[in-house]
Amino acid sequence: MPTPDSDPAILAQNLSRIYTMGETRVVGIAGIELEVTAGELVVLKGNSGSGKSTLLSLIAGLDRATAGTLYVAGYDMGSADGAELTRFRREVVGMVFQAFNLLPTLSVEENVCLPALLAGGNGRDIRKRALELLDWLDLEHRRQHVPAQLSGGEMQRTAIARALINDPAVILADEPTGNLDSRNGQIVMELLAELNRRWACTVIIATHSILADPFATRTICLKDGSIKS
Amino acid sequence: MNKQVAIWIRVVFVASALVLRAGGFSGIAEDYARVTGPCQLRLPEDHGDHPRHRTEWWYYTGNVTAPDGRRFGYQFTIFRIRLAPPEKEASWPDPSSEWRTSQLFIGHAAVSDVNRKRHLQDQIMARGALGLAGVATAETGVTVFLKRWQAVIGHDRHRIRADSDIFSLDLNLEPVKAPVFHGEAGYSRKGSSPEQASCYYSLTRLRTDGVINVQGTPYTVEGLSWMDHEYSTAPLEPGITGWDWFSLQLSDNTELMFFILRREQGGAHPASSGTFVDPSGTAHHIAVEAMSAEIKDTWQSPGTQAVYPVAWNLDIPTKQLRLRVSANLEDQEMRTSQTSGVDYWEGSVSVTGTAGGRPVVGAGYVELTGYGKAFDAPM
Amino acid sequence: MVLGIALGAAVFTSVRLSIHASLDAFSRSMDLIAGHTDRSLIKPGGRLPETLVAELLRNPAVAGASPVLMAYVHMGGQRANPFLLIGFDPLLDRSFRNWRPAPGSPNDNKMWAELMREPFTLALGAQLAAKHRVTPGDTVILGHSRQQAPFRCVGILDAEGIGMVEGGRIGVTDIATFQEFTGNFGQVDRIDLRMAVGAGDGSDETLQAELPEGVVLARPEEERESGMQMIRAYQLNLSILSFVSLFVGMFLVYSLIALNAANRRSELAILHANGASARQLFLLFLLEGAMLGVGGWLLSVPVGSVIVRYMIQGVSETISTLFVRVHVDRLTLSGWEIALSFAVTLAISLAAAAQPAHAAMKISPKEVMAENPEIERTQSAAGRLGAMGLVAVALVFPLAAIPGPPGLPLPGYLATFLLFTGFSLLSPWCLQLMGRRLANPLRRIGGEPAFLAGRYLSTSGMRTAISVGALITASALFCALVVMIHSFRNTVELWAHQTVSGDVFVTPKMAAINQYRDPIPFDLMQAIQQLDAPADLLPYHRIYLRHRDVMFQFETVDLESFRKHGGFLWVKGEPESAAPAFNRGEGVLVSEVFANLTGLEMGNTFRTRIGEQALNLTVLGIVRDYRTRGGVVFYALAPFNAMFGNPEWGGVRLHLDRSVRDPDRALTALVSDLVALSDGRLDITSGRHLRRAILRIFDETFAVTSILLLIALAVAALGIASTLSVLVLEHRRQFNTMIAVGASRGQIRRLVFWEAMLMVTAGEGAGVLCGFVLSYLLIFVINAQSFGWTFQYRVDWGAVGLSVPLIIGAALFSALPATRLIFRIPPAVLLRER
Repeated sequence: MPTPDSDPAILAQNLSRIYTMGETRVVGIAGIELEVTAGELVVLKGNSGSGKSTLLSLIAGLDRATAGTLYVAGYDMGSADGAELTRFRREVVGMVFQAFNLLPTLSVEENVCLPALLAGGNGRDIRKRALELLDWLDLEHRRQHVPAQLSGGEMQRTAIARALINDPAVILADEPTGNLDSRNGQIVMELLAELNRRWACTVIIATHSILADPFATRTICLKDGSIKS
Repeated sequence: MNKQVAIWIRVVFVASALVLRAGGFSGIAEDYARVTGPCQLRLPEDHGDHPRHRTEWWYYTGNVTAPDGRRFGYQFTIFRIRLAPPEKEASWPDPSSEWRTSQLFIGHAAVSDVNRKRHLQDQIMARGALGLAGVATAETGVTVFLKRWQAVIGHDRHRIRADSDIFSLDLNLEPVKAPVFHGEAGYSRKGSSPEQASCYYSLTRLRTDGVINVQGTPYTVEGLSWMDHEYSTAPLEPGITGWDWFSLQLSDNTELMFFILRREQGGAHPASSGTFVDPSGTAHHIAVEAMSAEIKDTWQSPGTQAVYPVAWNLDIPTKQLRLRVSANLEDQEMRTSQTSGVDYWEGSVSVTGTAGGRPVVGAGYVELTGYGKAFDAPM
Repeated sequence: MVLGIALGAAVFTSVRLSIHASLDAFSRSMDLIAGHTDRSLIKPGGRLPETLVAELLRNPAVAGASPVLMAYVHMGGQRANPFLLIGFDPLLDRSFRNWRPAPGSPNDNKMWAELMREPFTLALGAQLAAKHRVTPGDTVILGHSRQQAPFRCVGILDAEGIGMVEGGRIGVTDIATFQEFTGNFGQVDRIDLRMAVGAGDGSDETLQAELPEGVVLARPEEERESGMQMIRAYQLNLSILSFVSLFVGMFLVYSLIALNAANRRSELAILHANGASARQLFLLFLLEGAMLGVGGWLLSVPVGSVIVRYMIQGVSETISTLFVRVHVDRLTLSGWEIALSFAVTLAISLAAAAQPAHAAMKISPKEVMAENPEIERTQSAAGRLGAMGLVAVALVFPLAAIPGPPGLPLPGYLATFLLFTGFSLLSPWCLQLMGRRLANPLRRIGGEPAFLAGRYLSTSGMRTAISVGALITASALFCALVVMIHSFRNTVELWAHQTVSGDVFVTPKMAAINQYRDPIPFDLMQAIQQLDAPADLLPYHRIYLRHRDVMFQFETVDLESFRKHGGFLWVKGEPESAAPAFNRGEGVLVSEVFANLTGLEMGNTFRTRIGEQALNLTVLGIVRDYRTRGGVVFYALAPFNAMFGNPEWGGVRLHLDRSVRDPDRALTALVSDLVALSDGRLDITSGRHLRRAILRIFDETFAVTSILLLIALAVAALGIASTLSVLVLEHRRQFNTMIAVGASRGQIRRLVFWEAMLMVTAGEGAGVLCGFVLSYLLIFVINAQSFGWTFQYRVDWGAVGLSVPLIIGAALFSALPATRLIFRIPPAVLLRER
């Protein structure tokens, strides 16, 4: 259930995700305590396997915790059913991936519109908003192209536009610069920071890169599934 | 031997068994015409068939020589069997088919190629209907025919023809002596009771010429033949296991026929007898007591395991005959596959010895039945 | 999944084995009947004088002669199942045929003598005796058109030679008894000959010259060949149909390999990167295909052994009903059939594996590094293939027009192959076009999932195209066969009402099975003529003859009376112009089948011999006829009677006068009058019943076909299911992305359903289109080339329409497993570090 805005954007208490693969148990994250206020730009750091992505996928509502509680923008992620999670993903979060994950059969514009169309919005309004975003991201000339025709930076900017189309409260970025050169990486980071600044989006970036550091309001280091102080 | 042929031969031999042992399984048949006394044989009429009797045969054997000295024996027989008594015809459907007949004809023919030691044989059969087999009587004589085989019995000569895939016969026969009526004017006793008898006459010396074809090679031949014609309804009585039958032609222009009916318990049945024909053609009956036959050699058939005598010493003191008879070829067995069972030995023989103290030679044919266990095969 | 291939292979093999068993049983039966016969004497349209036997036996060129009479008779009320009674001379026959009493028979060696000595005795085949529980000594009642009579069984035949003719459902009797029973005194059906060893090449001509007028020297294999030829067309058509299920199975192998390759894409890339050569990867998948094939084939053995048990029954019954009597008593497992089924299954599996194996070979080792697999570049390829497909389709009709050898629809099948190839080649292009053009309109109908499905389809490449190809094949066949069977049935129905018109049909008992050799007994014919009934009598003769290899029935008809009550369905020629010459006896009408099988055309001269008469007659018209045992030649009744002085009737049709007030009652009265006078020697069938029987046989015949079709469709549905699974696996990352950006599970499910829907619609649509072309080929090319007949083209829209939801339902159902796959892996995998 959404709760008033005054609540923290993200509240995790004793949050754990343990993967069971037959007999073996693999710790994704364990005992995470985290509170993120709306408007923060949090950088999650840590080595491969430290639990960054696990934490991100729980916050994104793509996975469920095995223990503990997690509230994101007032949604109780532990008790929300499938339909609520879908609504949550539509309305609350926007996602940016390392591999961009654009749909190869759709044009730039169609990719950007997709989340809003899936959410069942008015096509004309969506298109107008998409054009605004593309214009802002300097992708207007590319809107009829398919992802295969874009550069890495363009792809990631398209992905950012897609993440923004539903006007989310929280932007989650998983290694957004991992597949980009440093110049494009820099541009993407600046864009994410601008989102945080201009639209007061809460932004969580999981990354190894130091590119995000200058923009971080907070940096959290994960090691072996736990937060390192 | 392929199966087909084996079965075929089996049928023929089963049928022969019917002839050779007619009446054997049921004693004396009730409804057939029976031979109970003198036969009143009249020729040429009685060359023809006697269809109301159960069995009948026209039987030719002979020993002939090709100009190059090659020797052949031959046998040619047409049997007639009546499968059902004449009364049976009353119950036939009306109208009945032209194929409907009780008469069955069987032909046996064999050539003994003495020099090459080969014995070639064939058997055929057909029903006595629709011109397939039968006996036709005409002014010129009697024709006994079975498919393409035939014996034409004319007034002064006979012609016999038979062919098979491997040999053929085409012989002209000219009687040198008058017919001989065996037993009492042809009434030949074959057992203890009057019915166990046949009507039986022979032409004991037939001058023979013609062609014998053996596996594609024709040989012009000359020699002597013997002809028997016999019919009966129940010639044998129970307890007789078979017979040894001899027909011998001697160089002193005499002939000898005798048969020994062998009893189960051994020895010759009293009805065994013979006929001696002197140069004038006069027949002399020979009772069983008057003759002795001693087996001098035997041969075991590799095919049927039967042991046949193949050499004899014959002694008929009343006729001053002391003869040594020996087979010209050991294997002259008329046989079928082991499964069928009915086999007999019918073969060309040579004779040496003395008659009235003077040396004689001769040739003839011997028929030996009942030596294989198979003679008791179910019919 | 291997089950699908197994099913295909099992169907293919069991159909072939079943027909093979029937052909084998037929040919064995014919061989057993022929025995060691070198030549047979027959008199077409009549019987031979029995006196000929002795004459032949005296001929040195003849080693043996055996007269034979045969008739199907029934035993004590078992009228439904007549058996073959052979009358011969046991003595003359010995060197021809193998027959003897079963071991342990009481008569054993005397059986032949018993048959000869005792009138009305017979020996029975073991199966027949067992079925009727007859043992030697028992009396049975046999029925024939002349009479019913008691026979005493004197023995049981051993299971060899004649004892195995018609699977042991046989009786033998002495020729005398046979003639007395059937009344055929003085005559025999056939005289079998064995030629003398020395008889040379010219002996046939020499012998023929010596034979009486009308008697023909024939080779015993001729009859078997004619019979086999009729079955062969059926065999070929059924084999090809059964091959379809195997062929569709090929798509299944394709999908499986492709699925596997898709699943193991990254593994392959790693293999490739670690030094596996492209060739090795290719072989790896080819081997997988081979293993699927072998596995499927092995599994097909138990599956097939179940199927074949039902199949063999159906097939042999069909062949018996339609062509020649067969009694299948065993399944002959010929090594050739086993090898064939193995080879075909393996070849198909390898062929199917080749493309995905080739694609696997092309997987770039770079994919180890890259996150995003490349999309197949199919756009230009689709266009190129589409163009080839158009060419192939364009060639179909010219190819179909090429005349082929009779009975072997080679051009027809080639055209069919081209048609399928063409449509399959067109399918990628069509899909592309459809995806592009339809995506936006679809959005309006089915929302975003529908739009996305359309988009996916347009770029999903060859794999989808091949699955759709499978569906095209299956649904085209479905549609074509539905149209063909409907047209066929409609035409046969029309024919049955027009040409098989008549209210009552009267024939001698078991006339058809005995090829009308015996006419209606004379006393019964007179009794029928004297019936005081308000009905027209249309007597006819039917004579079974052969024109070279083609069996046909020469039938006489009084055209004027016939046209009052019915008529022919004319293919060529017109009733009005043909009638005068026909009635004068100057020409004949031939059935379409006869015309097609012999190549006779309108205006040609038809030549035949019936008994002593040689006939040269003009073909005045070609009419439809759907008798399955060869063609029909119609000739005018009156000139025939004048020519042959034969007032007897082969059979007679009765037509009630139109003026009769209560036709049903009049018919019932007529039938009961006929039954009363028939004395059990006539078959009396009401026209309605006969026509219904014709249609029932028709429906039963196509039962096997329908089963094959359903199996093909099932296999195609499996193909769609596995293709969808491949697509889902390939798109899993994208689906997860969609979920991450807000798609609900329902939307993803709908997307997959829409994808299935589009594929099925494309397959079904193209399939139906292809099916209509195919139905034309089937009706006018393949049927004409195989059986000699065509039908009036009729589309059963109901059945075709029904197939649409049926197929779509099946395909959508087949989408279920694919949607399951999507959610097996949580979307979080998107974020999981590799």
